[in-house]
Amino acid sequence: MAASPLPPPDPCFVLRGAQSAVHALHFFGGAQGQVHPLLLSGSLSGLVHIWSLQTRRAVATLDGHGGQCVTWLQTLPQGRQLLSQGRDLKLCLWDLAEGRNTVVDSVPLESMGFCRSSILAGGQERWMLAMPGRGNDEVQILEMPSKTSVCTLKPEADAKPGMPMCLELWQADSSPRPLLLAGYEDGSVALWDVSERKVCSRVACHTEPVMGFDFDSQKARGVSGSAEKALAVWSLDEQQALQMCRTHELTNPGIADVKIRPDRKILATAGWDHRVRVFHWRTMKPLAVLSFHSATIHCVAFATDGLLAAGSGDQRISIWSLYPIA
Amino acid sequence: MAVFDTPEEAFGALRPVCVQLTKTQTVENVEHLQAQLQAVSDSALQELQQYILFPLRFTLKTPGPKRERLIQSVVECLTFVLSSTCVKEQVLLQELFSEISACLYSPKSQKPAAVSEELKLAVIQGLSTLMHSAYGDILLAFYEPSILPRLGFAVSLLLDLAEQEKSKQIKIAALKCLQVLLFQCDCQDHPRSLDELEQKQLGDLFASFLPGISMALARVITGDFKQGHGIIVSSLKTFYKTVSFIMADEQLERISKVQPKPAVEHRVAELMVHREAKWVKNTSDKLTILIKKIIECVSGHPHWKVRLALIELVEALLLKCSQSLVGSAGPLLKALVGLVNDESPEVQAQCSKVLRHFADQKVVVGNRAFADILSENLHSLATSLPRLMSSQDDQGKFSTLSLLLGYLKLLGPRVNFVLNSVTHLQRLSKALIQVLELDVTDIKVVEERCWNSGPLGASETAATQPRSPMQRRYFRFFTDERLFLLLQQVCQLLGFYGDVYLLIDHFMELYRESVVYRKQAAMILNELVAGAAGLEVENLHENHIKTSTEELREIVTSILEEYTSQENWYLTTCIESEEVGEELTMKQSGLQAITSGAHTCQVTSFPAFSKPSPTICSMNSNIWQICIQLEGIGRFAYALGKDFRLLLMTALYPVLEKAGDQTLLISQAATSAMMDICHTCGYYSLQHLINQNSDYLVNGISLNLRHLSLHPHTPKVLEVMLWNSDASLLPLVADVVQDVLATLDQFYDKRAASFVGVLHALLAALEEQSDPPKVDESDTGPDVEPPLPVQIQIATDVMERCIHMLSDKNLKIRLKVLDVLNLCVVVLQSHKNQLLPLAHRAWPPLVHRLTNDDPLVVLRAFKVLRTLGGKCGDFLRSRFCKDILPKLAGSLVTQAPVSARAGPVYSHTLAFKLQLAVLQGLGPLCERLDLGDSDLNKVADACLIYLSAKQPMKLQEAARRVFLHLMKVDPDSTWFLLNELYCPEQLTPPHPSLHPVQLRGTMGQGNPYAANVLCLLQELQ
Repeated sequence: MAASPLPPPDPCFVLRGAQSAVHALHFFGGAQGQVHPLLLSGSLSGLVHIWSLQTRRAVATLDGHGGQCVTWLQTLPQGRQLLSQGRDLKLCLWDLAEGRNTVVDSVPLESMGFCRSSILAGGQERWMLAMPGRGNDEVQILEMPSKTSVCTLKPEADAKPGMPMCLELWQADSSPRPLLLAGYEDGSVALWDVSERKVCSRVACHTEPVMGFDFDSQKARGVSGSAEKALAVWSLDEQQALQMCRTHELTNPGIADVKIRPDRKILATAGWDHRVRVFHWRTMKPLAVLSFHSATIHCVAFATDGLLAAGSGDQRISIWSLYPIA
Repeated sequence: MAVFDTPEEAFGALRPVCVQLTKTQTVENVEHLQAQLQAVSDSALQELQQYILFPLRFTLKTPGPKRERLIQSVVECLTFVLSSTCVKEQVLLQELFSEISACLYSPKSQKPAAVSEELKLAVIQGLSTLMHSAYGDILLAFYEPSILPRLGFAVSLLLDLAEQEKSKQIKIAALKCLQVLLFQCDCQDHPRSLDELEQKQLGDLFASFLPGISMALARVITGDFKQGHGIIVSSLKTFYKTVSFIMADEQLERISKVQPKPAVEHRVAELMVHREAKWVKNTSDKLTILIKKIIECVSGHPHWKVRLALIELVEALLLKCSQSLVGSAGPLLKALVGLVNDESPEVQAQCSKVLRHFADQKVVVGNRAFADILSENLHSLATSLPRLMSSQDDQGKFSTLSLLLGYLKLLGPRVNFVLNSVTHLQRLSKALIQVLELDVTDIKVVEERCWNSGPLGASETAATQPRSPMQRRYFRFFTDERLFLLLQQVCQLLGFYGDVYLLIDHFMELYRESVVYRKQAAMILNELVAGAAGLEVENLHENHIKTSTEELREIVTSILEEYTSQENWYLTTCIESEEVGEELTMKQSGLQAITSGAHTCQVTSFPAFSKPSPTICSMNSNIWQICIQLEGIGRFAYALGKDFRLLLMTALYPVLEKAGDQTLLISQAATSAMMDICHTCGYYSLQHLINQNSDYLVNGISLNLRHLSLHPHTPKVLEVMLWNSDASLLPLVADVVQDVLATLDQFYDKRAASFVGVLHALLAALEEQSDPPKVDESDTGPDVEPPLPVQIQIATDVMERCIHMLSDKNLKIRLKVLDVLNLCVVVLQSHKNQLLPLAHRAWPPLVHRLTNDDPLVVLRAFKVLRTLGGKCGDFLRSRFCKDILPKLAGSLVTQAPVSARAGPVYSHTLAFKLQLAVLQGLGPLCERLDLGDSDLNKVADACLIYLSAKQPMKLQEAARRVFLHLMKVDPDSTWFLLNELYCPEQLTPPHPSLHPVQLRGTMGQGNPYAANVLCLLQELQ
């Protein structure tokens, strides 16, 4: 007798009270030091909410983007500092230590696009920030916290990849040179060598703009989603050449965000079809379709302990616990 | 007062009397002497002591038979002298002692002489006074080995009196005197403290009497209950003072191995006892037997002072003779512990004091032997507990459980030695589970329902009330309420001192093992947690470390999870009418069906979650299980205090769910659990609690709505939440309301009833929100419609569903839907653009309700029409006159002859109720709708017939009320109409030029309309 399929899972719980569509999510703490992790969410109305996962309630609200949508949130490994990117053309640096929540610095943005920024930060004082640049197709690299411009990465004249849509700074274990992966409007993903300011390699992944990607630097493999009905999996060889591995066909078009879980076992996609899809990262086997939301999902995030959060246009954030990390 | 102050004067006065007495020994002469003595000062008396004593002693010593009366008066006189003077010479003391004691003995026998009670009393008094009048050092010197025979003589005399006499007074006096002789008198005149040497000297001496004293006193103590508590108390005191003195560890330590050669004659030396180890062992064994007998007899003595004395006995013996009497420690501890819950507060307090004292002094814990004995006792009690619990009556159970409680108190953290033994833990838990079995045969528990929806009771007083009282429950194996309190305390102490993880695991297992154990295990678990938190526990062991809050929270979380799991929380507690799909009205409610099944009661072996037809017992049992679990949640809240807030995200939802339960007992238990939560977590009312935690509730509701068949009560939770919160909640519930409506769309057929309840609560909440929030129109362009306020959107969506459900086949649902519809109209009144199209669509089913439904529905539908009439009158008027009025008027007209002819039974028919409903509904509606002339006439025509006296009274009244409304709309035409029917007076034209008016209404006596028309016309004037 065939086993009946398991019923679709439910969220562990749902956070309500963001008051507008949720566009950015980021887990903070939990692994070391802090006992109970926090979840940060950025909303269409420009607010950043800090949620306690212990009480499942908002513990603080940050208002720093003049009512304009918050598109990206990232905490720095050192200290309790938060970077938030808003469509008010500003990146805010918040000090969250000891219950404070004040803007200590801000960086002006010069691009109206949807492109989320990225940082490269070790334990040191100095860290690197990649953000969409002034020119339509440029990416700007800054050294932080001095805000010194390091360089501007501009594609060669004949490439015309369009606007950068998503960025990820990283560093290979073998080499100290900072690298940048950028997804572009034309559906391609490019690898930049930041110090040389040149594209190492580029691969066309989608026919529509890349909406989000995530890169597994250990396996040298990445996955990206776009407005079209497919996920693209690509890899990076030792010569730093990007190669398409495969595409994975989806039921409905439109992926707003892709995240690989920190243990590199599974990945989750944020679907325009109101659903989160979970895949096995190595095999890309579909594992689950999480349906709860009643509007587009804009973002997904994983906590170090494996908890998954999804933020949606229906103003809710759903929290899921799937295939717990042993 | 004294007449003779100096010895010289006194001598002068006393000499002749003394001489006289010496010559002639008569009662009169003794009395004469005593009378003279009254006038002599104490100091003079002291000077002349020997002189005065001489004739008295001479009288006693004169050989030959003497009259009792004379001896008595002599002894009394002696006593008088001794009470005012001091004895300063040892010889005198010894001689007087012998002479007085000899008064009671017949020279021939060893037994006390058969003399009068008065004489006995006088002698006892005399001895006592003598011992008090002796100088301190003289007195100590008196107790030398040579006195042993004479002292022994007196002691046995007194013991005989205490044991054999009938007179209570003599018994008491003898015991008192014995105490004096044994240096136990607590009066001021006696030397208070003895040094070690003196103690040993006395101890050596008294040791000879120990067997005699202890056995005689034991006989007195264990003698007749009726002899009066004073004698037993006194004997107990003498017993323990004597034993604890002679057997004192402190003294015995210093006894040398070899008996020193006593410097007394051989006869006396033989009487002397050497208290070496062997003697101690022997004596201790014999005493143990006596002590056991005494305890057995006295611990249940009806008089509290006796039990109090027993505690003193235990305290003295355990403190002073812990080594010499180690064999008695078991019974002594048991006696003490058994009184820990005594019914007398004095005894209880004293017992606690002694226990605390023991704990402070580490008498038990610091003494391996005692601790072992206690553990041993507890072991054997645990072993016999199941048997005792099933065989004893309430009183017996009470003492057994008191004993258990006392052991736990005294052992403190050491109970774990017993708990760690698997067999003993099993015994203990078996007994607890067995005795806590509930009686589940009461039908009322199942029958009592609460139907009303609305705010939960007592929401205002939550924060001010202390912990809510427990629901009264009935047990199979006992009725005494105190037993339950005892059992609670036992469990709390176990939780406090025992290894709480071990215990929780153990009882959790029993809880899971069988439905037969489940309720009892839950009760025990509740108390274990309360105990672990230290609630209501008096700690006797200061260094005991309590369970940490973190651990406690972990424990509570796991119990909560078990309690609220699918199979333990959702039990069959009633025969649900909704599931069966019967159309029962609330009044019938299926009770008969339940009651008729009552005789098929089978004790709880019924598996609760499988669903063949449930018996009363299993439903009763299920109800209690849920109540106990709810009560547990309240207890847990108290155990965790403010920390319980962190558990509200999982705990509040199930509790609220039960607050909406139809079984009264469950709903009450849930409400009081919520009050407990309010109280400990700092919410000032149930509403406050629900409002502040609505996010957790909404989370549960929205997730459970996804699996409605698994969680059929989800709509009820939302309903209860809405009834008990305010409109501030609306933004939060907006998305859930959408979920509810979407789910309703899927389950119209099956679950409409529960959803209608939610919609009702929701609209009631919306209606309450009097000020709709202003929509900010600044950022919407001129062409863009401002978005609808959330409550308008909700009301629109709900009204949409109501239209579908207006034709539901279930009467209850149709009634509720009309209520909801009514509220929708009220909420939407200022949004005509939304209201009118919906009203238009609701019209056809509404017409159906008015013209073709149950009378109850007709009335409810009229109410909706009235509300609608107030909001969209024009729209309604024409529709009403076109679609409804003709039908209603027609039916009133055709039905009128039937009701006019009908008998008294008619008022029970559906037809009657319908007529009444239409008549009741028409009047107010006509007024509200402001109908035109022709339509008013139609109404009037149809109702006129009912003003006839031939119609049933109720219909006449209703018809009169219709006309009262019509008068308000158009008084003139109504006047005319009524007069056409019956004209009470001839109308005289105001001016002769006018034609006289002749109305059709006849004036005759036989006019059936006369009474009602007259009545109405009077209103018009």
